[in-house]
Amino acid sequence: MDFSDILASSIHDIKNSLGLIFNSLDDLVDDPANQLADPRKASLIKHEVQRANNNLVQLLTLYKLGNAQLAVRIAAHNLEEFCEEVVAECQAVCTALGLDLDYDCDPELTGYFDWELVRGVLTSSIGNAQRYAHARIRLSAAEEQGMLVIRVEDDGAGFPAAVIDLLPDDGQPDWSSESETAPGTSRTRLGLYFAHQVARLHHTPEAFGRIGLSNAHHLPGGCFELWLP
Amino acid sequence: MAPPADFSKKTYLVIDDFSDMRSVMRSILHSLGVTRIDQARDGNEAIGLMERRHYDVVLCDYNLGSGKDGQQVLEEARHRALIGVDTIFIMVTAENTREMVMGAVEFAPDNYLAKPFTKELIKTRLAKLFERKSDLAEVNRALVAKDYGGAIAALDTLIAGKPRNLAELLRLKADTCITANRYDDAMAIYDEVLEGRDLNWAHLGKGRVLFQQKQYVAAQEVFERLLELDPNFIPGYDWLARAQFAQKAFPAAEKTLQKGAKLSPRSVERQQRLGELALSNDDREVAESAFDRAVAFAKHSVHNHPSIYAGLAKAKSANDKHVEALKVIGEIDKTFGDDPEAAFYKASTTAVVKRRKGDAQGAAEAFAAAGEAMNALGELASPQLALEMVKTCSELGEPEKATGYLRTAIANNHDDHAFLAEVMHVCEESGIAEEADAAIRAIQQDVVRTNNQGVRLIKQGEFGAAIELLRQAADEMPANKTINLNAAKACIIKMERNGTSPEEIQLVRRYIERVQHVAPGDWRLNDVQTRLQRLATET
Repeated sequence: MDFSDILASSIHDIKNSLGLIFNSLDDLVDDPANQLADPRKASLIKHEVQRANNNLVQLLTLYKLGNAQLAVRIAAHNLEEFCEEVVAECQAVCTALGLDLDYDCDPELTGYFDWELVRGVLTSSIGNAQRYAHARIRLSAAEEQGMLVIRVEDDGAGFPAAVIDLLPDDGQPDWSSESETAPGTSRTRLGLYFAHQVARLHHTPEAFGRIGLSNAHHLPGGCFELWLP
Repeated sequence: MAPPADFSKKTYLVIDDFSDMRSVMRSILHSLGVTRIDQARDGNEAIGLMERRHYDVVLCDYNLGSGKDGQQVLEEARHRALIGVDTIFIMVTAENTREMVMGAVEFAPDNYLAKPFTKELIKTRLAKLFERKSDLAEVNRALVAKDYGGAIAALDTLIAGKPRNLAELLRLKADTCITANRYDDAMAIYDEVLEGRDLNWAHLGKGRVLFQQKQYVAAQEVFERLLELDPNFIPGYDWLARAQFAQKAFPAAEKTLQKGAKLSPRSVERQQRLGELALSNDDREVAESAFDRAVAFAKHSVHNHPSIYAGLAKAKSANDKHVEALKVIGEIDKTFGDDPEAAFYKASTTAVVKRRKGDAQGAAEAFAAAGEAMNALGELASPQLALEMVKTCSELGEPEKATGYLRTAIANNHDDHAFLAEVMHVCEESGIAEEADAAIRAIQQDVVRTNNQGVRLIKQGEFGAAIELLRQAADEMPANKTINLNAAKACIIKMERNGTSPEEIQLVRRYIERVQHVAPGDWRLNDVQTRLQRLATET
């Protein structure tokens, strides 16, 4: 067992503890007799716990990917069902934050992807949008240019240029680069790196999956895009 | 949006070794309006509960501490029919168990739930699964009755409506077509799916069809390509090894299984096959460690079997650890009690180990006991036992003593090509390949001739003669599925034309029981059973 294995197993333990904290907070929020915290505050704590948890899951997934141990299960899925599940999962926190979360998707749309991995990418992207949105977050899925594109948009101030620069329009993002130390980018980096890796795991003989960042697509704020072949 | 599902009317079983997790799950379910929840802290407790009550939903953690794991709970529950196809089994996984679960060969849960999860996630998942199960109710009913034609028809109706889970339905239909021996239909589905997308299950299915059609070279190519595309797709290794084995590429098959077992070690079947192959390839260390694992994982598995201990004992003795080997054989008694198959394996393995140890008298005694145990098992002894007997006889330097058992095994399985390939493999090792090859050919010709003659007599309306002929053959080869099925059919057709008789109905029942014993999933059974039932209710 080398050090990275020890790290991985500790992360796993921490993650399980966070899971318990998270679910206990759930109970607290639901309990009308609760005198300890007002439900809104508890929801916000839940939000942070969930973010931390997502980060750990991403780390563990990347660790396994690095060891070529990650089994990817790509299958055909209905996108409306998928969006419904992602939105249901993030709804409680959005409500507590006073944000409106909805989805837009053709009920007939089908895509090929690993349900759990892509769900991880999107919940963490929505988690990020929750920090910057003004009043709205929208999840959407559509077929464009022969690919499936899933977007997470918000109506906040949009991504700062330093974040958008992390992803050049063409070619590989340079994750090792230390040059841009703009505030806010380090936190987004793991999420983007994870999303990028998950996108690349989806490929056909013709195309690879990829991610994109832009501002003011439909909503005025940031727009995260996941393109899958 | 799915229609609102009523969670409150259903019964739930939560299985987790961690009391905090159980209470989290319970409180989530409570908040969804669920009232009927049972809990179990380990696999045995869960199995005990499932023996007594029917559950609509089972939520089972994969990791259950030292006893059975979640996969073993699922296997035992499905294998022993403690849960039906109407039960939703959800495997709760942590990200470090995802791959282990995916290595499962035979039984897959209805859904995976990755930890951590929220109450909203469980709610939407369950609602979706309830909806799916109710859509598939008719298909499931047909599958349980082994009415594959009915299941395929019901699936076609669903597929025509182009539902959201079209791909899932196509996959199920193709699987059912394979079980029903409708290989061309299955192939058409896989080809169509693969035109759109490189999906691993469709490649695997295509290879399986080619394998069933005995196109081993083509099957191997498909499996190799599949593993190139997706090296972590575990069932691909199992099937590639089978295709290699069928082409007698034994060392290659061993290597393939080794790769699969490394990625997903917790399959008893995979470890045992690897152990057997390694033993016959004389890779003694690989064999011992594979059987070591097989024995360890089998301990809590419904698939535990004396042959696994026998394999470990032989592997140990091949590595000159005879004392340890005898100790392993001692475990057979402790684990299986006075099961007649266990008695056979214990005796035959003891004979081999004692012989290698130089204890000629002990070996001879055990060998005699093995023969007795074999005879005690009677007409329906598993064909694997005959193979084991061949190995034992040849190990004791008396391969010709095995020919009688061999003939029975071949006659009972004249059209089972995978089994015959194994027979040839064992006989080659034992130096009686030529005899075996000749025997297989002669017996096959014999059986086929009898069978065809019976079928011809039926067509000519000479039922008496047909029944007489097939009846005699069926009594000579009580475990031969094809002969017994045709004997049953001859009686049924006669009764359908000329009216029933209680004796003949009884006779048909016996043939059906024999087939059910040796091949409970045989695709031809349903037709015969349905027709018998119709006749029996007429009288």
